[in-house]
Amino acid sequence: MSTSHSKAAKEFLKNQEYAKWHDATFWSVRTKRDKMAYGLEEWEQLREKASAIKRHTLTHLDEYLDQFATNAEKNGVIVHWAKDANEFNEIVYDILSSHHVKKMVKSKSMLTEECEMNPYLEARGIEVVETDLGERIIQLKSQKPSHIVMPAIHLNHNDVGELFEEKLNSEKGNHDPTYLTYCARLSLRNEFLTADAGMTGANFGIAETGDIVVCTNEGNADMSTSCPKLHIAAIGLEKVIPNYDCLAVFQRMLCRAGTGQPTTTYTSHFRKARPTADNMHIILVDNGRSEWIGNPTHWESLKCIRCGSCMNTCPVYRRSGGYSYSYFIPGPIGINLGMLRDSKKHSGNVSACTLCNSCQSVCPVKVNLGDQIYLWRQQLDEFGTANPQKKLMCKGMTVLYNHSWLYNLATGMASWANILPSFVLNNGLNPWAEGHKMMQFPKKPFHELIKELDK
Amino acid sequence: MSNKEDILKKYRSNIHERFEMPDLSDITPITYKDPLSQFIEMSKNVGGNIIEVKENQDINALVKELYPDAKEIASNLSEITIATRNPDTIENAQALNGTDVGIIRGMFGVAENGCIWIPQQMKEKAVCFISENIVILLRKSQIVNNMHEAYKQIAFDSKYDGYGTFISGPSKTADIAQVLVMGAQAARSVTILLMPD
Amino acid sequence: MKIGLFIPCYVDAVYPEVGVATYKLLRHLNLDVTYPLKQTCCGQPMANAGFENEAVPLAEKFEDKFKEFDYVVAPSVSCTAFIKLNYPRLLKGKHECQTSDKIMDVVEFLHDVVKVNQPLGTFPHKVSLHNSCHGVRELGLSSPSEEHVAPFNKIKDLLQLVQGIDVVEPDRPDECCGFGGMFSVEETAVSTQMGIDKVERHIATGAKYITGADCSCLMHMAGIARKQGKDIQFKHVIEILASGL
Repeated sequence: MSTSHSKAAKEFLKNQEYAKWHDATFWSVRTKRDKMAYGLEEWEQLREKASAIKRHTLTHLDEYLDQFATNAEKNGVIVHWAKDANEFNEIVYDILSSHHVKKMVKSKSMLTEECEMNPYLEARGIEVVETDLGERIIQLKSQKPSHIVMPAIHLNHNDVGELFEEKLNSEKGNHDPTYLTYCARLSLRNEFLTADAGMTGANFGIAETGDIVVCTNEGNADMSTSCPKLHIAAIGLEKVIPNYDCLAVFQRMLCRAGTGQPTTTYTSHFRKARPTADNMHIILVDNGRSEWIGNPTHWESLKCIRCGSCMNTCPVYRRSGGYSYSYFIPGPIGINLGMLRDSKKHSGNVSACTLCNSCQSVCPVKVNLGDQIYLWRQQLDEFGTANPQKKLMCKGMTVLYNHSWLYNLATGMASWANILPSFVLNNGLNPWAEGHKMMQFPKKPFHELIKELDK
Repeated sequence: MSNKEDILKKYRSNIHERFEMPDLSDITPITYKDPLSQFIEMSKNVGGNIIEVKENQDINALVKELYPDAKEIASNLSEITIATRNPDTIENAQALNGTDVGIIRGMFGVAENGCIWIPQQMKEKAVCFISENIVILLRKSQIVNNMHEAYKQIAFDSKYDGYGTFISGPSKTADIAQVLVMGAQAARSVTILLMPD
Repeated sequence: MKIGLFIPCYVDAVYPEVGVATYKLLRHLNLDVTYPLKQTCCGQPMANAGFENEAVPLAEKFEDKFKEFDYVVAPSVSCTAFIKLNYPRLLKGKHECQTSDKIMDVVEFLHDVVKVNQPLGTFPHKVSLHNSCHGVRELGLSSPSEEHVAPFNKIKDLLQLVQGIDVVEPDRPDECCGFGGMFSVEETAVSTQMGIDKVERHIATGAKYITGADCSCLMHMAGIARKQGKDIQFKHVIEILASGL
């Protein structure tokens, strides 16, 4: 009885040393988040406000998007609207080719990952250089991100050292993280200086002013926009928020929740093109969002600010890693967004949850992640992706529990299982026996014992 | 119909229920008895250096003292006399590469996280990021408690009104083996000079 | 007040001693408790697996059996949480729903309704407290470690009424044990790993017993502990509270 996730997770766990390290690493990020949360008396109040701001904004988003675009255009920014991933890629390519761009540097953007922009541009002869160190590492390694905030977390310093020896001509055998970071700095510095365009994502778009706000620790969004002559900002519709008062709430929570820091090093507001550059472009991307708002049980996933804290706290993510999930975003939010994106394709992730609800308890915007996963499970049968063995087991249980005489018979006989030879119970047909020693069934179930107690 | 109208129309038609904007005035954010002390502590926490400048102290001499090996110093601030490059008159942003120290002005600091609001006040903002080290001049009376207060008062420059940023310490990353390294893509060190009023 | 005792299917079949302890303790406290016959399952296993419509007939049966009681008490946080949070939705338009307001886990009940304050049983051992997820995050039996709230733990409060006991908590005090119902048979590798890790953390406290308010967690951890050759013992909280009575 397996799913795409359970099979991948099983492989992941075969390397016990690595799995332990992975679990400990993310738990420590969760612990840092805890320290931040306990350090602010207003933490739970902020979560409630953040959730309420998002619910308001998302259900009035058409108005805020209009306001945002109008104000951005007043600032001289060129605003584009992309209905889907393909249109987004086309718009980007259009802008770049009309400016004869050969190389573009970009800061982190999960949205561009969602739209698969890099391969689209590369196929058309435009070099795309990731400048977030984690993203750059996996780009050089031709891998996908395994986490939305720490995309290269699955690699250790030796992996990176060997990669840099090959790709950046770094000193052989020197795998010290400080040295490797410095090598990347030099290499990327050259890219910033020679790029024709810079692309950023957007953590937030401010409707009242038309600002794009980008939060980084490395300063790579600022470097990407300080030297090249063109700035393109890619932003998902749901990232637009009303005003600075709202921004304060989210800015304070984003990094505390995501990495356990009180702030990112840089919180940058891009309002107009640089005085010595060409235009600034903003591309607003729909790609399903205008549909998801209509889903009565799952629209709240749009509240997500992509902090990553749900993954860090998820005991299943920690023990299976980002690559065990079929969607490019893993963990609790990934399960939910994947199902919104393509429920048949990503049904195999829905098993990756014990419904412990830790994710719901950390989420800074109170997305009801666990509750939604429970609801997705109810729909798998309708999607045709319910596990047939699980379905059979459930039907079996229904029969058993609905017929008292059958139930009583089963519980009365259960203790016979105690004397069955091991091979009968401990085999591939009994998944419980994989990790557990079978329990001893008592001779008498409670409903028999109570008769004696009552006398 | 343009894409904008299509998208907005589709979105609007799918909204089920509408929620009101919550009241944000009852948020009780953290405040400090001594915001300046907290700001100083947080600045150090995030990897910055912070120096309280005395009345009439020569900041040009101070910078030279802090960075004795600095060859290229970039600044457009009128009180800086030791600059070898000017981000207002430099031919292009790329030419600022190789700057050892960039000296810029911050408008106010935020005690809760060591952030300093820095609106663009020069032609090439690259100086804030491309310099190996940056020195930020900040009036020490200009400290607010938290980001709620900060966002009530951020302002952009009247001339270079297209960009502003909060900077908290040097550029950093922990992307390689979770080891925190100062100096990722931008400044490798930040020194804040707390100026008397 | 009239109390209806709900003994979930797996407690009935695998851990009847927990049912017995619950019954004995409630009677010891002079409470009017009845065990209606022909109970079976609340429907949670099927629902969590994605077939909540299979739970509807069971929910209807449950309603009919228990609606005349003032409280329905069960020694299981997961079943209690399931009934409380899901029955209103499952029964909407099909059947009246009263039991979701009356259902309480026995720990909640003893702490919040009966407000037990007298010494209970005797259990002179070190026990490591297992904070089951449904108890923490759905029934509010203890403060979730994720949230900035004043710390509290109703299970611990009750256990402190037991003579001689030494209650400790493991590292990662409310991390999931990995049972998750069907999760344990669908994602066997992760489920087992979570169980192994949790048992190890409990053992590291030096406790002789692992205790908690939900037999499903205990059943999962016990099965894993035995397979790993660990001899740490397991007891439901109610068994400890009733110990020696």
